[in-house]
Amino acid sequence: MAVYKRTYRGYNGPLTHPAWRFLVLQRYAFKAVFKSRFLLVGYVGCFFAPLLAICLLYLNQNSSVLALVGQKPGFLKIDAGWFMNFLTAQSVLAGIVTAFVGPGLVAPDLANGALPIYLSRPFSRVEYILGKGMVLGSLIGSITLLPVLLMFVIQSSLAGYDWFNKNLYLGNAIILSSLLVMSVFILLGLAMSAFVRWRIVAGALVLAVFAAGKGFGAVINNVMRTSDGYYLDLQYLLTTAATDLFGRTAEDAPIAPWSAWLAILTFCGLLLLLINRKLRVCEVAG
Amino acid sequence: MTHPVIELADLHVKIGKREILRGLNLELRGLTVGLLGPNGAGKSTLINTLLGFWKPTSGTARVYGHDVRTEARKIRSLIGYMPENDSFIANMPAISFVRMAAELSGLPSDAALERAHEALFYVGLGEARYRKLGAYSLGMKQMAKLAQAIVHGPKLVILDEPTNGLDPQARLRMIKLIQEMRALGTMNLMICSHLLRDIEETCEEAVILKAGQVVHYSNLEEERASNRRFVEIETEGDDGTFADAIELLGCACAVTGPGKIKTVLPEGIEVRDIYRLAADRDVQLRRLNFRRDSLEDIFLKAMER
Repeated sequence: MAVYKRTYRGYNGPLTHPAWRFLVLQRYAFKAVFKSRFLLVGYVGCFFAPLLAICLLYLNQNSSVLALVGQKPGFLKIDAGWFMNFLTAQSVLAGIVTAFVGPGLVAPDLANGALPIYLSRPFSRVEYILGKGMVLGSLIGSITLLPVLLMFVIQSSLAGYDWFNKNLYLGNAIILSSLLVMSVFILLGLAMSAFVRWRIVAGALVLAVFAAGKGFGAVINNVMRTSDGYYLDLQYLLTTAATDLFGRTAEDAPIAPWSAWLAILTFCGLLLLLINRKLRVCEVAG
Repeated sequence: MTHPVIELADLHVKIGKREILRGLNLELRGLTVGLLGPNGAGKSTLINTLLGFWKPTSGTARVYGHDVRTEARKIRSLIGYMPENDSFIANMPAISFVRMAAELSGLPSDAALERAHEALFYVGLGEARYRKLGAYSLGMKQMAKLAQAIVHGPKLVILDEPTNGLDPQARLRMIKLIQEMRALGTMNLMICSHLLRDIEETCEEAVILKAGQVVHYSNLEEERASNRRFVEIETEGDDGTFADAIELLGCACAVTGPGKIKTVLPEGIEVRDIYRLAADRDVQLRRLNFRRDSLEDIFLKAMER
């Protein structure tokens, strides 16, 4: 762009609607995220399994193709377990994406003291968190919610109205479970990014929350001969909550679904507290 | 009557259990206001309170008539803030950084890009605008911070220690820019600094804070004007009547020693009239000084209180 005059002038033009300004952060953060080819390839790789699954769903209902391999339509059992397992597998990928992308969202701003630049404008802390969270939210949602929901829609269209009517609750379960995974991962990614300013350590911490929780939980369960250790195992808690939504809770489950939900809510509350504490403009020099 | 730029009424701010600002009362209307004070005086806390980062414990603070308690968002839309410390995004080019700042202030994307280019050219970073901020020198980072503070065309620009860490050349460039911005007359400037020279060279008003209280308010323009009228004279060959002759011109006059006179020139009387009088009376003028009550003198006096 050519700039002919080195002068300053005020601005009297139109302004964007304040409600959507948080999307500015999302746009700039996306640019930064996809600058890394490694992340781009990894992200694209997350869609390999859903694509394969959609092909299988199609083949499962295609009698002419199945006849060639000596199978009958419906050779795959598409039920709550199928969708839940698929969502669980995609959630693992979402966790890895969170570990790579999450730390790059807030940590650089804190390390470079950029918060006053954002928050000295008509832009609140909530909008800042929303803008940064939207980056993770859209990435995780595109890996978990969208492909699994798409599979449900495709299966419904192929299997017919009766299947859809009988399994409508699966649609709700997919949406709610995905939203649960998204919320927990967004908060975890942002909190670790705010807690540790070194990106690599923050990324490792995201994974460590799962691994360490699982490890400590197992130790407590074995040493104390109790099932209370499961409350430290975030993955187990999420799976228990999702199992409940998919209507597959076993009668002898070590912890009740409601207590898993309560533990997840408590965990999210703690993450919110951490974010609230860390994301402050704290220039108290004068 | 228009609202004052900044209006503080018995403003108290507590951070934790410590009271940082203790009953500030101020009304600032000048185009450029300097905020002075030693470390820990409460300068940054006052700025942070005006920006809505800290809530007043009691009392009120208003910017252009808007209360910081209830209209922080509106106030922030009127303000451009250049923080004291490093505040940037290291792996972002300056142009993207300033553009994003403009977009966060509400400018549409295209207008933000256009103004980001202009702002960076204005502060002298035109040629370096596509370089990443992490690769900038300290002086360039300061200029980039200034660019993001003015890119959205704010009414009030708050500059917190704008010359911090700059070499003499870069400091001069920054001072010149601030003077240019003042000369435009389209925005108010509030400059927070502990460097008296910076304030003296750029501001019309100065507020001196000490331990969370205003210890002195000075209208530097008026001070400069009054200094221009206050003259100290040393003479040789005066038979003791030169002071009377000066008084006859209409000047208030005081003899402070043999051949030493202090006088205040009223409107219409200029220094050349004193020279003419001395020539007429064959009195030698050995010294003729305007009073130089510098900001440093004012500051030191204020600190003694």
